[in-house]
Amino acid sequence: MSLFTFVLRKIGRALLTIFFAVTVTFLLLRLLPGDPAQAVANPNMTAEMRATLLTQYGLDQSLLTQYGKYLWQLLHGNLGVSFAQGVPVTTVLMERLPWTLLLTGSALILTALIGIPLGVLAASRRGGWLDRAVQILGVIGQSLFVPSVGILLLYVFGLKLGWFSIGGAYADGTYGAQWYLSVLSHLVLPCLSLVLIQLGPYLLMMRSSMIDALGEDYCTLARANGLPYRRVLWRHALRNALLPTITLIGLQLGFLVGGAVLTETVYAYPGIGRGIYEAVTQLDFPVLQGAFVLLAATVVVANMITDLAYGLLDPRVKNR
Amino acid sequence: MRRRTVIPLIGSALIAVLTLAGCAPSKPAAAADSSTAAQGSGPTAGSGPAAGSSSPVAGGSADTLTIATTSDVVNYNPLVGNSRTDYWITNLMYPHLLSIDAAGNKEPSLATKWGYTDPKTGFYDIRSDFTWSDGTPLTADDVAYTLNAVKKDKPAGTLYGQLTNFVKATAVSPTRVEVALSEPDSTVIAEIGFWGNIVPEHIFSKAGSVATFANDKDWVGAGPYTLTSVAKGQSYTMKRVDSYPLVDGGTPRPAAIVYRVYPDVNTEILALRNGDVDMIANALPPTQVKTLQGTEGIKVEEVPGLGYAHMTYNMKQKDLAKLPVRQALAATVDYDAIRNVVLQGQAVSTGSSPIMPVLKDWYDPSLKEYAYDPDQARKLLTDAGYTSDSNGQFPLKFRLIYSLQDAVTSQWVNLVKDGAAKAGITIDLQGLERNTYLAKTNEGDFDIYAGNFAIMDDPATNMALTYLPGGAINYSYVDDPKLNELISKSRTTTDRAEQKTLLRQAAKLVHDNVYDNIMYTQNLYVAFSDKWSGFIVKPSELLSIVDPVSLAAATTTG
Repeated sequence: MSLFTFVLRKIGRALLTIFFAVTVTFLLLRLLPGDPAQAVANPNMTAEMRATLLTQYGLDQSLLTQYGKYLWQLLHGNLGVSFAQGVPVTTVLMERLPWTLLLTGSALILTALIGIPLGVLAASRRGGWLDRAVQILGVIGQSLFVPSVGILLLYVFGLKLGWFSIGGAYADGTYGAQWYLSVLSHLVLPCLSLVLIQLGPYLLMMRSSMIDALGEDYCTLARANGLPYRRVLWRHALRNALLPTITLIGLQLGFLVGGAVLTETVYAYPGIGRGIYEAVTQLDFPVLQGAFVLLAATVVVANMITDLAYGLLDPRVKNR
Repeated sequence: MRRRTVIPLIGSALIAVLTLAGCAPSKPAAAADSSTAAQGSGPTAGSGPAAGSSSPVAGGSADTLTIATTSDVVNYNPLVGNSRTDYWITNLMYPHLLSIDAAGNKEPSLATKWGYTDPKTGFYDIRSDFTWSDGTPLTADDVAYTLNAVKKDKPAGTLYGQLTNFVKATAVSPTRVEVALSEPDSTVIAEIGFWGNIVPEHIFSKAGSVATFANDKDWVGAGPYTLTSVAKGQSYTMKRVDSYPLVDGGTPRPAAIVYRVYPDVNTEILALRNGDVDMIANALPPTQVKTLQGTEGIKVEEVPGLGYAHMTYNMKQKDLAKLPVRQALAATVDYDAIRNVVLQGQAVSTGSSPIMPVLKDWYDPSLKEYAYDPDQARKLLTDAGYTSDSNGQFPLKFRLIYSLQDAVTSQWVNLVKDGAAKAGITIDLQGLERNTYLAKTNEGDFDIYAGNFAIMDDPATNMALTYLPGGAINYSYVDDPKLNELISKSRTTTDRAEQKTLLRQAAKLVHDNVYDNIMYTQNLYVAFSDKWSGFIVKPSELLSIVDPVSLAAATTTG
């Protein structure tokens, strides 16, 4: 298969996945109990006011009509207008997207930076104390629940030690360099929470694929040829062992986004995750649809890039 | 991959992420006009506070009062917004005609006088010294415009619900508005005055429908503060105006009010203890009150409740339609235990009356709370023809719904279930997510409803909503002709003494027939840093010490 066909096929699959995500999101939201008019208006709302609101939101039309209109809007790049806020969904999401990118991007980079070397070192010292510690850390990391970690970190580092502020993305009234420092300081705890819950799979995957790679003939041959162990480890074994971890990065993006919803909620971090939480309580369908489309597209595109990178790194993949 | 390429790559990625996050906000110019406010929107739009009229003014200080809240502003249009944070922030910009005192009586705010010239015509006389933050005077035209626009466009806020008998408002002079009613209604003038925010005609009329106007930038208000910057999900910064006639000295004292968003009240408490905020706007959970009262540097203020917690029995259900069953259920509730254990003594009995003691002018002390007596409940059921089985169980099983978001109710419903079990009645508890709870309540899909009303400020209006057929919150589906007549009469008479008699008779009917089981009025507690003082307490969580006049009067103790 040529590279062009391979890329085209991947893009086609990505578009199909996004279409599927759009449709499922649209239908799932309409299965939620309650109606948006009730969530938005005051509880003393009359039946007449409820009917007016449902008409205003377009929810008095058939499901098929709503779906058709929604797809048509989407094809024109229009995500609709928020039921609760009365402003375009694009505005709502763009206010929050940079913070989510900052948080998830930092967490992803840090997780890879810590997880990959630690996994390699654990594999190279198999059975030693570091290996055991990494395995324990990996299992614990996979069992952690974001809100529990968040509250614990807030209590220890926010309240007891007073090192970090409790909630938010920066301190009000800071400007210039001070603002950047404030942003970094507010990023530490939410980022740490995400790193802690994401680290486990990286550690375990890297360790196991490195152990496999180190057992391969080419590594034995390299050692027999007199290459230093460090060179065999970092140059030869790591290069091949990285492939499953690259796949993992793509797969973990979805979990990272899910973790960001909880993390942003616990830390009152002003990203899309907290926006989703608020939109759920308000049954704000357009905001939820827009946020899920955006997040689904991010994950699908990231996975597509991973697949393409994988194909480039390992030519056997694109011929499958 | 070689190491020397990895490090620059990682560095570049970090820089890219930070760059993507945008530029730092620039320091505001010293004396920009507050009307040129900008809406910040996360890091990309420069979310540092834009300049308002923040230069020191006579009587004011340069301090910023930071207040914690648990949600973002959903809607900046006060005619649409319904969340607590919407209310707290828009209240600081858009004045109400009337306020309320600690005894639940309406008192002047923007309006100095209000009442009726005849049974179908009401009036407000308003102050002449209010101006909008862009310098335009606030006149009776703004008041008339607001009321007429709400009636026409039907926005989702609370005010529209008060306009049932409203026909039209007319500004007969710059300081007087007359309101034409479709039928005599002695409650509507006070209720519109209390619930409605007045908006600037010269801004809102350009937007078309007030029901769809987002009002999300370039705010023009006439309250003590004007919103100047928004960092969605993070904070709302409001700068004081130069003149606010309702505060002593005419100038709000704190230079700025910042509302910061936290996920829940427990995190707010951490932030208060940590010094990140000066005050928590939300009422404290009962279990936290004593702890915070004993915490150095923190003061806790009691705020009278203006609502009640209750259970309604769905009278469409054949057993609950019978008075002895409702009386039996009412006798199985240990009200004292609920108030003392769950609410830690932070609640008062209403005497099982829908008119709470806080409404001193209306409350009837002769009504006594239902006695907790499971044996009497058994007797009532036996006398009504119900027979218990060998285990003492009556063939009565009810489904009680409550909101899982309501931590206090979630606790006391267990006591209700246990109490009923002692009398041989089975109650299945169904805790629901809030939207499901609202949907089931609206559809009448319950046997027993447990919940709260936050503000029941006017007995006649509230009893109409709660007990008249078709009333928006008539969850018991009661339709008692005698009760209907009493409530309807109380809404038309302008004779206060007669109204009081009628309402007390209505409350007694509700009490004696167990049309509603009012459990208690919760006293609320709010916490703030002892660095601040001078707050003015108003009843209910919506007003408490975050009422505009209270915040404008606050000063630092240092």
